[in-house]
Amino acid sequence: MLEYVYILPLLSFAVAGLILAFGRWLPLKGASAGILVAAWGFSQGLMLFVKAIQGTITLPYEMSIPWFSFGGNQATLGVYVDGLTIAMLIVVTAVSLLVQIYSTGYMHGDPRFKRFYCYLSLFTASMLGVTLTNNMMVFFMCWELVGVCSYLLIGFWFEKQSAAYAGKKAFITTKLGDLGFLVGLMVLFYATGTFEISKIQELAHAGMIPAAAAGAAGILMFLGAAGKSAQFPLFIWLPDAMEGPSPVSALIHAATMVAAGVYMVARLYAVYALSPIAMDTVAWTGAITAFMAASLALTCFDLKRVLAFSTVSQLGYMMMALGVGGFTAGMFHLTTHAYFKALLFLAAGSVIHAVHTNDMREMGGLRHKMPITYITFLLGTLALCGIPPFAGYFSKDEVLAAALARNPVLFAIGAMAAAMTAFYMARALVMTFHGKPKDAHKHDHAHESPAVMTGPLILLGAVSVVSGFVLTRHEMFEHLVNFEGALPFELHHVNHSAVALFSSIVAALSMSLGVWLYKARPDIPAACRETFSPIVNMLEKRYWLDAFFLKLVDIGDSLSRFMFSFDFNFLDQIAIDGWAWLTLKLSKIQGWLDDHVVDAALNATGTITMSAGRMARLAQTGLVQNYLLFVAIAVSIFAAIAFAG
Amino acid sequence: MTLSYYLALSGLLFTIGLFGVLTRRNVIGILMSIELMLNAANINFVAFNRFLYPGQYAGQLNAIFIITLAAAEVVVGLALVMAIYKNIKSVYVEDYNILKG
Repeated sequence: MLEYVYILPLLSFAVAGLILAFGRWLPLKGASAGILVAAWGFSQGLMLFVKAIQGTITLPYEMSIPWFSFGGNQATLGVYVDGLTIAMLIVVTAVSLLVQIYSTGYMHGDPRFKRFYCYLSLFTASMLGVTLTNNMMVFFMCWELVGVCSYLLIGFWFEKQSAAYAGKKAFITTKLGDLGFLVGLMVLFYATGTFEISKIQELAHAGMIPAAAAGAAGILMFLGAAGKSAQFPLFIWLPDAMEGPSPVSALIHAATMVAAGVYMVARLYAVYALSPIAMDTVAWTGAITAFMAASLALTCFDLKRVLAFSTVSQLGYMMMALGVGGFTAGMFHLTTHAYFKALLFLAAGSVIHAVHTNDMREMGGLRHKMPITYITFLLGTLALCGIPPFAGYFSKDEVLAAALARNPVLFAIGAMAAAMTAFYMARALVMTFHGKPKDAHKHDHAHESPAVMTGPLILLGAVSVVSGFVLTRHEMFEHLVNFEGALPFELHHVNHSAVALFSSIVAALSMSLGVWLYKARPDIPAACRETFSPIVNMLEKRYWLDAFFLKLVDIGDSLSRFMFSFDFNFLDQIAIDGWAWLTLKLSKIQGWLDDHVVDAALNATGTITMSAGRMARLAQTGLVQNYLLFVAIAVSIFAAIAFAG
Repeated sequence: MTLSYYLALSGLLFTIGLFGVLTRRNVIGILMSIELMLNAANINFVAFNRFLYPGQYAGQLNAIFIITLAAAEVVVGLALVMAIYKNIKSVYVEDYNILKG
């Protein structure tokens, strides 16, 4: 079955085309085809997972066909499957499947329903490409395709100005990082002479890549990961990406695409492990992101944006875990986070579907109206906050333990972020589902979502509850996904249970505080907003990062304006037009010379010849006697000369 | 009687002939002047033969040859004049100007 794994992305691509062309005639306008393929992919992933755990297939598995050659190098097209791939494969196919089922309810009646499913299939295909490819070149291509799908889906409701802008912002911001990725890829190719992941890993393990090259490549490629996985300072696009439909937020901007950056770092972990600087860059960027994003979520009133900031924060966690050497911890957090964050987004989508607003200040008291959504959202919240025994507890605890083993400062930042996470999730939960309805009209019209929407919620809720517990049994996940190379630094010994206890106490306390504040004493947060208005202002302005980037754009703008005026006023006016003027003058002189010297000489030749001819004509009188006279005279002259000689 | 007299006569005849050729308007007159020039040449031949090579006949032979030739020339010349006259209806050479450049 490993032999056929390459069919997965190809089939998804084909289905995207199929839905685009024939979706109109397929059941559910093509949704059925997308769902079937995703389901098949998920079953394949699950089977691979089971076989890998049982050890009945040998990993890593690689298969490739030659693609094209350049210079002395051969580019290949193929698949590379190891534990990491399988973990990611399940995440992608599972979330994609559930989101596609959910979307049949959420997007019901949308005029571009067919197109939505086409995009989803295209996205799934690209993501599978990223996951399965054995070649960094194809990886980059699929990576960009994923970005395109993200752009298309964020701006799916492009009639809304803000959605169109958000799509553009996401695309441009991630492109900024992708530029770094591309350069990093070139550095990596320069250092290794190959794009194949297995060969790069081999060379890295053998220490054949210079640390400087590995560090440069690592940091540059991390720029790409920072764009795609929304790391500081490029995370500004993700909150705006919430303009897209909620299932899209769940699939792309919570579970899979944003994890692609983390996956990329994990994929090339052997390279990163060669350079302590690259590792530290990843770790500190992750930590800063985790902290910043968590603080931003505190003051946000848009339900989906709270979740978006939370996603950014959790992605920061994963990066931090990878950066401190916690390879398994980072990927484990990626896996569990994908499920419970997809759950939270889908539940939020269900709420938004019911009340038609994103603003938490207009919600409240929805738990009686939407019990299933409430319960599943609660499960997701508990998992995200790291309350035992939910999934997030296991993964977050491992991340924090890994951070402590490397650097206590990173651990402290991570713990603070965890506390904030618990607080803002409690706040979101209370504001949305508890208390009195703030908008009676919207509350009256709210109703529980249909079964196609609650079904995936329930499934994801179940996974969120058990996945952490199940995957840590017999160190199942660690057997599947681990890093066998050497780390560039020593790690301290850490007491895991102590860290786990500490983090769950922090989370529980912080969560209770949040629930108490927003449920019993909503006047205190309001007073805090007044008292700490400068800080709140800073958070609402998102640390002025947007302003910073806009300023950057402004600077670029004025620079190009200056360049334009230089070009227009100097280069065009003086250099180009001046040159043209000079040429014109010169040609005029040349024209005059041509007319009056060259042509005159030619004309003179003609004139002289003509007048000579005219003169010679005079001799030709036609009178024979004249001719004879000439002859007589000539003979006389010759005779005279002869006699004189 | 010396050679000079003959040569003077011959020169006079030739000059009269040349003058006639160049100045006569009538084409018949021109033909007659040509006869004069040919006969001047004949006198030269005969005179030189008589005074310089008395025992020989080359000069006389040439004179007879030229007389024959003159007869033939007159025949051809008159025929040409007839043909031209038919076309141009004139015997005056100034009308024969179709060669004018």
